[in-house]
Amino acid sequence: MERAGDEIVRVRDVTKDFRPGLGLRRKRILHGISFSVRRGEIFGFVGPNGAGKTTTLKLLMGLIHATSGEAEILGHRVQESAYRRHVGFLPENPYFYDFLTGREILSFYAKLSGVSRADRAKRVAELLERVSLTHAADARLRTYSKGMLQRVGIAQALVHDPQVVFLDEPMSGLDPIGRKEIRDLILELHADGKTVFMNTHILSDVEMVCDRVAIIAEGRIRYEGPTEDFLGADRQVSDVVVTGIAPELIERFEQEYGAQVGGRGDHIELRVPEKHVSDLARAALGAGAELRSVTPHRVSLESIFLSAVEGGTGTPEPGERAQGQEGVS
Amino acid sequence: MIGRIAAIAGNTVREAVRSKVLYGLVFFALVMIAAGVVLAALSYVERERILQDIGLASIRLFGAAIALFVGVGLIHKEVDRRTIFTILSKPVSRGEFLIGKYAGLVLTLWLQVAIMAAGFVAISLMAGAPLTWGHAQAIGLAAVELALLVAVATLFSSFTTPMLASLFGAGFYLAGHLTRDLRDLGAQSGAPFVEQTTAWVHRVLPDLESFNLTIEAVHGLPVAASDVWLPVLYAAGYSAALLALAVLVFERRDLR
Repeated sequence: MERAGDEIVRVRDVTKDFRPGLGLRRKRILHGISFSVRRGEIFGFVGPNGAGKTTTLKLLMGLIHATSGEAEILGHRVQESAYRRHVGFLPENPYFYDFLTGREILSFYAKLSGVSRADRAKRVAELLERVSLTHAADARLRTYSKGMLQRVGIAQALVHDPQVVFLDEPMSGLDPIGRKEIRDLILELHADGKTVFMNTHILSDVEMVCDRVAIIAEGRIRYEGPTEDFLGADRQVSDVVVTGIAPELIERFEQEYGAQVGGRGDHIELRVPEKHVSDLARAALGAGAELRSVTPHRVSLESIFLSAVEGGTGTPEPGERAQGQEGVS
Repeated sequence: MIGRIAAIAGNTVREAVRSKVLYGLVFFALVMIAAGVVLAALSYVERERILQDIGLASIRLFGAAIALFVGVGLIHKEVDRRTIFTILSKPVSRGEFLIGKYAGLVLTLWLQVAIMAAGFVAISLMAGAPLTWGHAQAIGLAAVELALLVAVATLFSSFTTPMLASLFGAGFYLAGHLTRDLRDLGAQSGAPFVEQTTAWVHRVLPDLESFNLTIEAVHGLPVAASDVWLPVLYAAGYSAALLALAVLVFERRDLR
């Protein structure tokens, strides 16, 4: 049984309206969203561009105000500021004062976060080491590459050793090595007992690091639950091609095995989860149909995501092949 | 709270110190002060007074220009460049951020006034012009006026674009220097409505002429103590009210 105290982030029926331009007409960006993040988990907040991910995160950081509903972090209303000494935040494509050096900016954030003077220099040096920026510690940020700035962003989010860390597209624009480094860092935070909230649209990252996910599309939560349940269920599927099959049997397969039906003419293609292939084949052969082929393959993360966003079943249409591309931007 | 405000103010000063634009403006102001020597040389009489008149006017005008030029972008730039996002994600309230930025810019301006004042003193000494306590009071009140102007600019910067804030700020500055004349004209008009309106405008807008002791300083006229401390109190009260309003507006804003 889940206890309220285990909810680090709690969002209930939050709506957000913006007024584009100077007009009186309002545009609703978030439509009464609700979700919660539990202590110690890596929570993926996943959605396509324009779904409302960054708006939600800005709302949680108190940068924008909800039109209605409630949002709390560590039991505090998000408009308060004092509790943020326990919160770290990395915005998407972070911008910093580029006239400062890496060491100076981290020291500045440490001061703002209430890190004592005695601990500050040590803490800053530790973090520079942790994000592999010791060599550039005394160079101005205007000379840093995008990847280096992202690492400064991570370091500033951790400078005060927060309990919960919010990351907005933390792997955005990074090369594969940079992505792996950030991913490892997130897993280290998890191992240290921190709670991590991650906005992302890169599903392979979600699969690799997130314990639970919420899927948001068009300002509405489409799914919230364990990542395994979302990505793992019926992920291995097979296309079974049969001929001479009676329409009633096809209907039965749709109902019993969740088969998706495609194909042309006499050749019927049935897409079913791997676990049902044998039963389906046996039943088809027993009813006098001929088995032409069985092609196993893995449903792409992208297909699962798109289906969830569109409110579908989580598996692609028959004939559609798994793709290597797993981003959805 | 004080520590966080000081950190933001200190960072604002550091930004100005590392910015080439402000050095350019201060350099130009020093050139103007020095140009007073040339203009004074064209006159047969009161050369020292002309020299100091131009010098003090340069300090006031360039100070005001820098206050408005930098002040109008003070908050907007932070939101536009999104540097504010990471700062407000720390235990920093919007009020602390705004006051810190304000204090940082005022300190920067006072540093610049000190540099310009040093230039003024050097030129006066070279020209053999007298230097009195009155000059210090005039420069001091000019610095206080700048603190008020930064509060005006900060208020506008908290909710509008630098372009509009510049227009509002410049209008405020001009109106602030004319409001006393406007009140006197209204009093002479004989029409009660005009008289009341101009008196009301004088009460609402800041009377920036009360910070101008240039004539007294240059001509060596006596200055009552109340002509100094009353404007200081006035500026403190007015600035506090403007900043409170700015915080109120800024607290409600969505930082998109």
